[in-house]
Amino acid sequence: MRGLIIAIPNKGRLREPVLRLLDSVGLKRIDDDRVYLANTTMEGIQVLSVRAMDIPVYVYNGIADLGITGRDVIAEIGLEVYELADLGFGTCDLVVAVKKESTYRHPADLPQGSKVATEFPTLTRQYFNDIGVQVEIIILRGAVEIAPILGLVEGIVDLSSTGATLEKNGLKPIGRVLSSTARLICNKVSYKTKYDMIERIVENMRGCL
Amino acid sequence: MDYFDIIRGGAGEGFADSIFKVQDSDGRLLSMRGEVTTQIARMLVSKARNEGRLFYITNCIRFIGTKSMSQREFWQAGAELVGGREVEADAEVIALTLSALESVGIMEASIDVGNVELFRRAAERFGIGELEALKRAVASKSLGDLKKVTTDKRAQETFSYIMMKRGGPEVVMELSQMVGKGVDGYADYFKELFGLLKTYGCADRVRVDLSTLREQMKYYNGTVFEVFLDGLGVPIGGGGRYDAMMKEFGLGDTRATGFAMSVDLCVKALEGEGFNFEGERAPTAILYCDGFRDKAIRLACEMRKKGSICTVEKYNGQSEGIAVGREIVDLKTGKKYVP
Repeated sequence: MRGLIIAIPNKGRLREPVLRLLDSVGLKRIDDDRVYLANTTMEGIQVLSVRAMDIPVYVYNGIADLGITGRDVIAEIGLEVYELADLGFGTCDLVVAVKKESTYRHPADLPQGSKVATEFPTLTRQYFNDIGVQVEIIILRGAVEIAPILGLVEGIVDLSSTGATLEKNGLKPIGRVLSSTARLICNKVSYKTKYDMIERIVENMRGCL
Repeated sequence: MDYFDIIRGGAGEGFADSIFKVQDSDGRLLSMRGEVTTQIARMLVSKARNEGRLFYITNCIRFIGTKSMSQREFWQAGAELVGGREVEADAEVIALTLSALESVGIMEASIDVGNVELFRRAAERFGIGELEALKRAVASKSLGDLKKVTTDKRAQETFSYIMMKRGGPEVVMELSQMVGKGVDGYADYFKELFGLLKTYGCADRVRVDLSTLREQMKYYNGTVFEVFLDGLGVPIGGGGRYDAMMKEFGLGDTRATGFAMSVDLCVKALEGEGFNFEGERAPTAILYCDGFRDKAIRLACEMRKKGSICTVEKYNGQSEGIAVGREIVDLKTGKKYVP
């Protein structure tokens, strides 16, 4: 049987708490920090460092057996994986935000045909469809908060944990798309073919929360 | 091709969205084959057949999201068993799935069995109205989502048991005790099923996992199963009982079950084990010298009849192959060639 691969974010807000969690269950990486697929102190278990957004893709396809990433990302990518544990850290909301001086108080106040910038096009489309507002979605890859002030869009849908970044860029939140925390996800076939190994790791992680 | 509204009736709305459609000359929508079971059921019903064993190996096309990186055209192999006693037919189809895989060299596949009717009754017993949300929570093994669906402690306990527990028929026995009334008979059914699978010699490769619901197909209404293979990220196939679809098509009281597996995934699994589908069968070149073309063509015809793959071309002094002149010589060995 193959060993086990755990995919974790290679950077970003989840990286440090994830590494701490792995440490506390006795999974220390023994390779250099720049090695994307690193061996660990546990024989047969490797840690794969990739973009948080790509983790569900690696797990769904069975390249990684387990993965740790945000609920926001899992929902956006929409691939079927098991969600074995809510790890509790990495709390944040995916919010709709507009310029502070704007008169919009709720996302439904946005006029039909408004432009909305986001890194989460699928969730954004679903959300505005559900509230009956047709928006044009502009996909950006980071620093989304600057787009309204520059006049590119009327609103954004982006992650916010304390609201500080929104505030600093002259924005205010007017609605919540979803609440997110870090989740432990698992490939559906791996869960069955490597059940004992995975259950052991999951139990250890739950014990550390 | 079938009329779209008929296939939609059998396969359900969600699946119908993923079917390629074209218009008939009178404007009615036709559907291309997105999977096979619905077509077979429709065909059997139109012939009023309520018994039979059928198999297929064919291509299907379906809209598939780009994220799953699958092909829109794919090959499926499967079989349907219409009629027969429920538990015996279920066991036969599960055993056939494993032996069909063995026959192509996939020996290590295993199967998880669930039952969508048992699941539905358990939900009903606890008065859970949001069946779809419950199925989603269980299918993703998310305890957090389960707690949002129901606040009843006993329901939470029961469905987290369904989510997490895998094992033999004793899993169903234990669940029956947790649920109480409403699911009578299932413990006996699963006991008999595993007894039959033991007779077929495959019980050790089948496990009960009641979170197996095959949600992508709405037509299942009894025992369902999925087939797994270590190293492949997605199930290689699956199947289950679909009496309800036969009824939907107008043949009430007809029992039907079957399985389908992905030929493409079988190929991938075998390639992973080093099986070479391309083979070493490069065509043999038959090279004629001036004046010997007819003799070369006759030789090629003879060799093709015996199963060889060969081409005929003029010898240019360099190619490798079999030279045809006054004598027939294998240029590789330099020896006279005897076809």
